[in-house]
Amino acid sequence: MTPQKSYSLPSFMNSDSSLPWLLPLITMLIVFAIIPFFYNIYLSFHEFVPAKRALLFVGWDNWIRLFTDGVFWGSLKVSLYYTFMCLLIQLVLGMGIALLIDSDDPGFGIIRSILTLTLVIPPAIAGMIFLIMEDANYGLIPWLLKSIGLIGPEDTILADPTLALWGVMIVDIWQWTPFMVLILVAGLRSLPSEPFESAVIDGARPFQVFRRLTLPMLHKVIAVAVLIRGIDLWRMVDYVFVLTSGGPGTATYTLSLYSWQRFTFVQWGYGATISLFSLIIILIVGNAFIHFAKVKW
Amino acid sequence: MRKVLASIIVLIFIFPIFFLITSSFKNNIDLFSLPPKLFFFDLDFSAYERVFGFSKFLKFDSSYSELFLTSRIIDSLIIGLGSSSLTLIIGVYAGYHISRVNFKFKRYLIISILSARMMPLVSIAIPVYFVYEKINLLDTYIGIIFVHTFINLPLAVLLLKSFFDEVPKQIDENAFIDGASKMKILHKLVVPCAKSGIAVTFILSLIFSWTEFICALMIGQMNVKTIPVQASILKTIPSWDMMAAFTTISIIPVFILILMVKKHFVRGLTLGTVKEQTHTSL
Repeated sequence: MTPQKSYSLPSFMNSDSSLPWLLPLITMLIVFAIIPFFYNIYLSFHEFVPAKRALLFVGWDNWIRLFTDGVFWGSLKVSLYYTFMCLLIQLVLGMGIALLIDSDDPGFGIIRSILTLTLVIPPAIAGMIFLIMEDANYGLIPWLLKSIGLIGPEDTILADPTLALWGVMIVDIWQWTPFMVLILVAGLRSLPSEPFESAVIDGARPFQVFRRLTLPMLHKVIAVAVLIRGIDLWRMVDYVFVLTSGGPGTATYTLSLYSWQRFTFVQWGYGATISLFSLIIILIVGNAFIHFAKVKW
Repeated sequence: MRKVLASIIVLIFIFPIFFLITSSFKNNIDLFSLPPKLFFFDLDFSAYERVFGFSKFLKFDSSYSELFLTSRIIDSLIIGLGSSSLTLIIGVYAGYHISRVNFKFKRYLIISILSARMMPLVSIAIPVYFVYEKINLLDTYIGIIFVHTFINLPLAVLLLKSFFDEVPKQIDENAFIDGASKMKILHKLVVPCAKSGIAVTFILSLIFSWTEFICALMIGQMNVKTIPVQASILKTIPSWDMMAAFTTISIIPVFILILMVKKHFVRGLTLGTVKEQTHTSL
């Protein structure tokens, strides 16, 4: 008969405390979010010097370079333009299609499931599909545009500084408009039917119903969709990487792609500075949006 | 009328996929013909032979040797299954706790989870690259599995929380009064109740790991390449039929997966906030 030993854990490690439940999650957050954040700050004050083969402290040089770098301002503009235009187009198109297919009819159920398909294609692969379709010589889209006379016979899409960004945006719009559609349809399906019935009885016109009833009742769903899509648009890098690699020239550099490209050119400090800038912007804007749009989890 | 318009829109959206899949079966003449041959062309499977690396081609052209699609699929599967399993293990405990307990810093924890979802992947990948370089995790499965786990955790935790919210609290309370430990309640009662939600989370994590590009590109160097990374390399070998065959094979598995969970897909996309109504049809 040996006396039974009771192994008791310290009180912060038993199941009444929060710590053991959340420890793995918090560890992951620290290792892959907090540490990279501070490492980015560290890198932004250092730069790799090829002559000495070492990371050396350079003070504020990277930040001064950032704010005087024309390519950086160009890529910031591209990122902003890309995010806002895609978001707007996807939201408007998505809302239109969602209103169109918001129905109990089983046929529309099939349409909804077909629309999920574009969303799961790896973005790099979606880029490749459009690389084939937008090819200057044998691509389907330039051929179509030429035959209806929208672009001249010598024009290309992806090699043209003004059209290249739209050539990238069309992929994003193609792939992610269904995202908006599906979320908005789910929102529309969950609305109660009584207010709409009484509005029809009161003789409201369809646009009035949409403006006064549908939009206000849907604002939470719209806010979530805009938030998540906005985040992903801001950090998008796959499409430009595959389609244009930032070209022609620097016309389609987004912040993420520019940062990655600096990194591959062994300007590690400067690359980290750009990505840190982009990270800080999205953290501020994203959290402000969550706060003011009252998105709840 | 409405149906016709909706069908036309859907056709526009699936056209690129259709075009891609048919392109993979075309021979080199039909592939480049304009107007494109959409329905009537000679079937040609040579692109598939080359993509899988079966063909005689390999013997005298070394540029195709990196294209063994089978090993790319295996890489993607190992990373996808590994990271979604790890995500699930971490997510179940954290999601359950967030769902049931009002602890002190809950609001801040949720904010940090959402902030983690906002991080541009490049800003994770650059520091992780240097850390991995020091601890020899570059170009390993486990290295990419950890990063993908982190990327999928916000989705998994918040989605699982929303599924656990739907399991009635009475179940926990009754079992607790009967003297069951909290771990036992989770494992024996709550997890079986939220079984389908857990499966959905697993499949969505798998899909998002399958599609992730920039981190896999930076951390996988020579030996470990996921499918999107290989795709970005493939575009330097301008062979359309191979590109088409490669993409066709890489998107078919995710299509099958997504049709399994399409009922909960919207919920996954919105991190558990927007629920799709259960339809009588479909």
